Amino acid sequence: MRYIEVKGLSKTFTVRKRKEKGQLFREKTKVRALDSVSFSVEQGELVGYIGPNGAGKSTTVKILSGILTPDSGEVFVGGRIPWKERREHAAHIGVVFGQRSQLWWDVPILDSYVLLRDIYCLREDAWKKRLDELTERLELGNLLRTPLRLLSLGQRMRAELCGSLLHCPELLFLDEPTIGLDAVSKLALRDFLHEENQKNRTTILLTTHDMEDVAALCSRVMVLGHGNLLYDGALPELLSKYDRVRMIRIRYEDHAELGGLPERCAVSREGQDYLIRYEPSKVPTAWLLSELQKAGSIRELTAQQQNIDHMIAAMYREMDL
Amino acid sequence: MNTIKLYLRSMAILMKCQFQYPVSFFLQTIGQLVMEGGEFLAVLLIVDRFDTLHQWTPGNLYFFFGMMSVSFYLTECFGRGVTGNFPNMVRTGQLDTVLLRPRGVLTQVLCSAIDPRRITCIAIGSAALVLGSRLSQVQWTWWKGLLLIEAIGMSMFLILGLFLIEAIFCIYSVKSVEMVNALTYGGRSACQYPVDIYPRPLRTLFSAAVPFAMTLHVPAACILDRSLYGWPSWTAFVSPLSGLVFFTAVYLAFRKAILHYRSTGS
Repeated sequence: MRYIEVKGLSKTFTVRKRKEKGQLFREKTKVRALDSVSFSVEQGELVGYIGPNGAGKSTTVKILSGILTPDSGEVFVGGRIPWKERREHAAHIGVVFGQRSQLWWDVPILDSYVLLRDIYCLREDAWKKRLDELTERLELGNLLRTPLRLLSLGQRMRAELCGSLLHCPELLFLDEPTIGLDAVSKLALRDFLHEENQKNRTTILLTTHDMEDVAALCSRVMVLGHGNLLYDGALPELLSKYDRVRMIRIRYEDHAELGGLPERCAVSREGQDYLIRYEPSKVPTAWLLSELQKAGSIRELTAQQQNIDHMIAAMYREMDL
Repeated sequence: MNTIKLYLRSMAILMKCQFQYPVSFFLQTIGQLVMEGGEFLAVLLIVDRFDTLHQWTPGNLYFFFGMMSVSFYLTECFGRGVTGNFPNMVRTGQLDTVLLRPRGVLTQVLCSAIDPRRITCIAIGSAALVLGSRLSQVQWTWWKGLLLIEAIGMSMFLILGLFLIEAIFCIYSVKSVEMVNALTYGGRSACQYPVDIYPRPLRTLFSAAVPFAMTLHVPAACILDRSLYGWPSWTAFVSPLSGLVFFTAVYLAFRKAILHYRSTGS
């Protein structure tokens, strides 16, 4: 069943610039945040939505969640038009902004959850059951009486997640949920999201710059740039196009002479290690290895795939973003 | 019913927050007392110089002052979300959160703040009311009490409507709300005196466009056993309803305006 259906979605913002000296009127520029974007998402899918800053990701999320009204295009989320049936729509979705808190700042988070219960008109027993479940899975038990402002970033993120899931939404938007989190919190959060997706068939749309998140969670990615949808499909396939560079980290017993390598191999030093980046399609690996062996006696050698961020950067460069 | 429950619970939580900083609260309340006390003192001093102003005795004028003061500060106390929070919500994008919840925008905005410091202003207004009605020797009956409550309630709608106009301006990212301020705060200062002491243009403004005369002065005159425009006394029960009409019109415009909200980058 198609849960999200988007056709020809466009949104333009008018940006007013500050007046310069001697100018009579302020300059206005039109920015096309979204330019005829179309896609659909099945129920229960976990989709990553990526793109450089200012690509229009947040605008899409805001339109799909009913905050913004688009200029043109058709949008159906769960059969509803978000900005026309805002209240009805809001009862069925959850949104987490990594950079913006949605709970009440000065009050214990439990009080926030009680208010949310009243706002969403949840039944007492259903609310209690869900709250118990979420507090256990998100390990919020002994934080419930702490005001939000006293929580650490990781704790706050968990609290926000709990708040946005209390009403069992069919669809969850996550806008950079792991921003600023430490490794442990990040991993825990990913596990939680995966479980939530599997267990409750919650459709999740994840907006992020953290490619590890996408790689770990999403079966499908959509790449947005300059307001256009540039790619829609599986992540490995997308990356295979840009996964050209390999890296060799090598340490010699003593002095080594690496002057003989061709220019196409980028050599850099990192402490005692040499880092060599090369493209196997242009420089044969067997030849490179024999050259490295000639240069000195090797103590350690590791071959690595390139960092996923580098691949994405290469992709953005190629797509001229 | 549900909305009332939500409102009361929000208020309880907000009050808890306020009293986290008791000294600050106390000092600010004192500040308000000095401010509004000064205002009333000014009225006392001015009115003292006249025996009558048009048909009104000093006692009558205190009564008018009290009614305006009570309505205005009650609105500021409970409408703090609209007057204080809303512009910030729009500017910082916090309104996103409001739009993401299955409740009316105005309900949530009203639930988001209360300003209990205004209690002293309301107290002074009430004192002026009592003083005014004593000096004017008002014979209180149950229908006069009812009329007083209606007049204050409807005036609150009118004032809230004025503040909502400011809120609409905020959404269209117009920073200069001074024009609207002239209507809200200017209207309050002007209409703490009965409107018939002013020249015709102002009378028309406050009777037809921003109908303080209808919501406050007509019923107040009726309670004081006089008549503002020489209308029969039953009109005093009808004319305050214009406050509700004004509010409804502005509220409809506000709902349209929300669709133009642009949020902020993130």
